Amino acid sequence: MDLKDIKAIIDLMKKNSITEFELEQQDSKLRLKRGLNGGSSASHGDETVPMVPSQPMAAPVISPPIAPPAANTGEIDIKSPMIGTFYRSPSPESASYVDVGSEVNPETVVSIIEAMKVMNEIKAEVKGVVTQVLVENGKPVEFGQPLFKVRPT
Amino acid sequence: MFEKVLVANRGEIAVRIIRACKELNIRTVAVYSEIDANSMHVQMADEAICIGKAASSESYLRIDRIISAAEIADVDAIHPGYGFLSENAHFAEVCESCNIRFIGPQPRAMNALSDKAVSRALAKKAGVDTPPGSEGIVEKEQDALAVAKRIGYPVMIKAVAGGGGRGMRIAHNDISLIKGYHTARTEAEKAFGNSGVYIEKYIENPHHIEIQILGDNKGKIIHLGERDCSIQRRNQKLIEESPSPLLEHKFKKLRDKIGKAAVKIAEAARYTNAGTVEFIVDDHGNYYFLEVNKRIQVEHPVTEEVTGIDLVKAQIEIAMGEPLKYSQGDIEIKGHAIECRINAEDPFDDFRPSPGRIEMYYQPGGRGIRMETHAYAGYTIPPTYDSMIGKLIVTGKDRREAIDRMNRALNEFLITGVKTTISFQQAIMQDPNFRRGVYSTSFVEQLLGGARRELIEEKA
Repeated sequence: MDLKDIKAIIDLMKKNSITEFELEQQDSKLRLKRGLNGGSSASHGDETVPMVPSQPMAAPVISPPIAPPAANTGEIDIKSPMIGTFYRSPSPESASYVDVGSEVNPETVVSIIEAMKVMNEIKAEVKGVVTQVLVENGKPVEFGQPLFKVRPT
Repeated sequence: MFEKVLVANRGEIAVRIIRACKELNIRTVAVYSEIDANSMHVQMADEAICIGKAASSESYLRIDRIISAAEIADVDAIHPGYGFLSENAHFAEVCESCNIRFIGPQPRAMNALSDKAVSRALAKKAGVDTPPGSEGIVEKEQDALAVAKRIGYPVMIKAVAGGGGRGMRIAHNDISLIKGYHTARTEAEKAFGNSGVYIEKYIENPHHIEIQILGDNKGKIIHLGERDCSIQRRNQKLIEESPSPLLEHKFKKLRDKIGKAAVKIAEAARYTNAGTVEFIVDDHGNYYFLEVNKRIQVEHPVTEEVTGIDLVKAQIEIAMGEPLKYSQGDIEIKGHAIECRINAEDPFDDFRPSPGRIEMYYQPGGRGIRMETHAYAGYTIPPTYDSMIGKLIVTGKDRREAIDRMNRALNEFLITGVKTTISFQQAIMQDPNFRRGVYSTSFVEQLLGGARRELIEEKA
């Protein structure tokens, strides 16, 4: 299968409003998915499903108040000790303090949380490897909110 | 106009404030400790932010965390409720300096009434009688003895920074005075961070009469009548009612006099927003100023029911800069309202607190019934805060109807899983002296200590 064939298939898909096409041959497999607005893309359909409005009696908390224990995976959460805005790097131009895969020890600064114009360095307080970054840069965090998952070593 | 208000409190008052905000189309932000994650105020607010561990010192009293929460949620104002930081002038100042409106009296008014001794001096200057006592803080043991000699026993030793009925001791002679003086100072230091105490004549069989006031930011202050809060146990209020049965008949003219005195004191302090001026009234109709509570009070619904005015909404409107909608002449007391505080305590076991999970919860309903609570079936009352489940407020066309209705309502009330004071409230409602309106602050002690010990059987 060469590019000419793939282009032809895409045209056919468009013409016939086919959204997904999969072809498996002896030595290759081709899978094409189409966006509904006509653009061929690897992503899903165009419409973003609106956020489900929260039910009348449930407050959309800024984050789940009590993190479920990570007991079964053996990972530890680094939780926020304060309320403020979470930043992954010391300044907008610098690199992040840590990323997935970074090794940390208890004294390693993993993020900054800014509150009332004061930048507070947040230390890992655990020795291990970062497996997940749970909060987006610049987002507000509350007390106890998990920031990173770390696999202890 | 406020777009968003943060409620710096919990429990039933947080629910109350959130409701008032919703009715004013203001978005609400709740703050909560980890143990309060399932609390009603968290569920009701538009947004909720966890601010710390269960202990109040780690959460609801943390000015830095509350301000941080206010900042990330971008609120216009903070309502402090009652207790916690509601009368903390420093907190009010921090709010203002962060451009967040504090829904309560302005810091300068709080400072003018900074402690009980200062307030006493202000009242005297405003020409209102205070119970005979020391001029200010009593620094030395000898001074305490001299004051007691001058005014005569029995006397009360009171912490200047005390509140909510705490930090008070009676002394009947020199020996108990000396002992009480030192103990009171140590206790005050521990509880309030301020060991200052003053001494007042103890008026026997006093009636606790308090006046609700409202003041706008332009200096206009009115009063909304009195609440009689004499039914107390160990200085904790159990029942409040308006109007006061004492100020009917013989002492009818006192209502106006005491109301005017309250406004005079508030004006002297240049008070703004909602507040309560407390008085002691003796059996001869002498009234003495005690202190000013610079916050919305637990029992505010009693005044709301007989005046028709929403006090929490009024607080918010005043904080937004609106002038008072009413003049003194517009305030009318109609009907009679009684509030019973329902606590998770065991009246059969010296009112031991009874936190835990509420299994079944059915609250009274029907005409003239208002329930202010954060409780619900399945809710676990945490052991870390006060034991209040809620407040049952009943209104009738007169006192007789209000009492009968309260009786009916208490009988309907069903709470299982925790012990409650419902049965004790029923005993009070059926007490002949209470029904006659003849009672003072010694009522509960007499009820508990007297021959009539049997309380109504607890319902299964």
